[in-house]
Amino acid sequence: MIAANPPPALLMTPDERRRWLLSTWRYGVPALASVLLLVLMLAPLPLSVPAMPHLALMGVLVWAMLQPGLMPPWLAFCIGALADLLFGQPVGVNATLFAVATGVMRAAGRVFGRHGSLFDWLIVTGVLLGFALLTGPLMALAGRPTPVLPLLWQWLTSVAAWPLVVRLCAAIQRKLAASALLWRHG
Amino acid sequence: MDWTPTPRRLTAIRRDQNLALVSAVVSGGVIAAGLILLLVARVNPDTASGLRTAATDVVAPAWSVVRAPIDGAAKLAGDIGDYFGAVSRADHLEAELDKANAALRTARNGQRELWQLKRLMAVREPTRIVVATTRIAAATSGSVARTALLAVGSNDGLSRDMPVIGADGLVGRTLEVGRRSARVLLLTDPLSRVPVIVQRTGQIGLAMGRNLPTLLLTDRIGPELQLVVGDRIVTSGDGGVYPPGVPVGMVVDPQADGPVIRLATSPLGGGFVTVERGWLPIPDTQPKGPLFDAPVPVEARTKGAPPPRLRSNEEFPRPRSAQPPAN
Repeated sequence: MIAANPPPALLMTPDERRRWLLSTWRYGVPALASVLLLVLMLAPLPLSVPAMPHLALMGVLVWAMLQPGLMPPWLAFCIGALADLLFGQPVGVNATLFAVATGVMRAAGRVFGRHGSLFDWLIVTGVLLGFALLTGPLMALAGRPTPVLPLLWQWLTSVAAWPLVVRLCAAIQRKLAASALLWRHG
Repeated sequence: MDWTPTPRRLTAIRRDQNLALVSAVVSGGVIAAGLILLLVARVNPDTASGLRTAATDVVAPAWSVVRAPIDGAAKLAGDIGDYFGAVSRADHLEAELDKANAALRTARNGQRELWQLKRLMAVREPTRIVVATTRIAAATSGSVARTALLAVGSNDGLSRDMPVIGADGLVGRTLEVGRRSARVLLLTDPLSRVPVIVQRTGQIGLAMGRNLPTLLLTDRIGPELQLVVGDRIVTSGDGGVYPPGVPVGMVVDPQADGPVIRLATSPLGGGFVTVERGWLPIPDTQPKGPLFDAPVPVEARTKGAPPPRLRSNEEFPRPRSAQPPAN
């Protein structure tokens, strides 16, 4: 998806350097995709319970799985802080939980190694449940206690929407990987 | 290859270990920063309200543009659906119209009497003033906070604590206002408390949101009467934000300890909403500087201090005893 192992900058030809600079936007694709999913979450659907799937969190989780190097916890923290600003929640609730969730996905990747997509779904189900259950205590810590049980609706719809989000992000990754720079020289 | 690939030497392994340690420390620091931010928000809930309004200023106008074609498609679908079952609906409506006309005749009589009595008593009432009419541009239906975004802001005359009212009933009140966007606290948010009155019994209380489709009627005081299913709940006008008489909902479960109210209007139903001026002006609670009898020299004004006030500029309510007696 990004150019693999670029040569040291001093060894690049001017043409290579230009191509390399023009391809650096690819580093921001996971963050941008997650932010777009976050804005998509603000669609004014007439839902009377918080049943909109947490697309932003799922985007962050997918990229933490597909490209762990491009979705570090600090970037997830920034996206979570933006989510807090847009949702009108105390700044830090989503930010903390996004960072923790990214760390959990990294640890899961290290511990379990290669595995099938059903197993991913299982892990993500657990992470999303942890997110729903931890939101209440963090909101209470910020001085705005809220009932947590309605968030279980969101958990259900998020679990159902996971394959779609994975497909979308994987399609983005495949599309970009096909046009990634290759440093092949004779 | 024209450069040397990195060899897996001891230094490289040690560098990997160091990088892993650094990344773990950074992750821990990030999580700690998040918890500290939460504590800051607990002490000062208005933290980052400027950032918040800046973010909504970008997103709300964008969504108001995006949703326009969707609204058009929904309207087309609704127009097509209207043709089905038109005859039976017309019969039903005619029957309802007869009933409504009968009720209107009695109401006209009462209205005239009320007008006469109010004139006799010289009642002065504030009027409802519409500030803006708009659609709901975006909503946070994926979060514990139940808010909506409007694509109008302080440029259109909006400010904090203005009631937002839909065609069928109350929607909420404005919470944060940016230049081109405003955040609306919906009735269903756990923070929302609306002073209401039960129309049949005259009991007053608070309609409390709880992140569910229904509201809870709490702190009910007034005559000891049992509520029944179908009792109408309207705003009472207490508190000065919401004008009195706006429909809030209907009792669907009259338990003694916590009656459940179904909302009169779906807050995100997609129709137009009006933003009105607050019913009664909220008292100014900003800290004020001391009163001066003479102009204050420029040197005495320090940065951050409230502006000095001149006694001659202040308006004091004249005490009653100072007025001459009527006869």
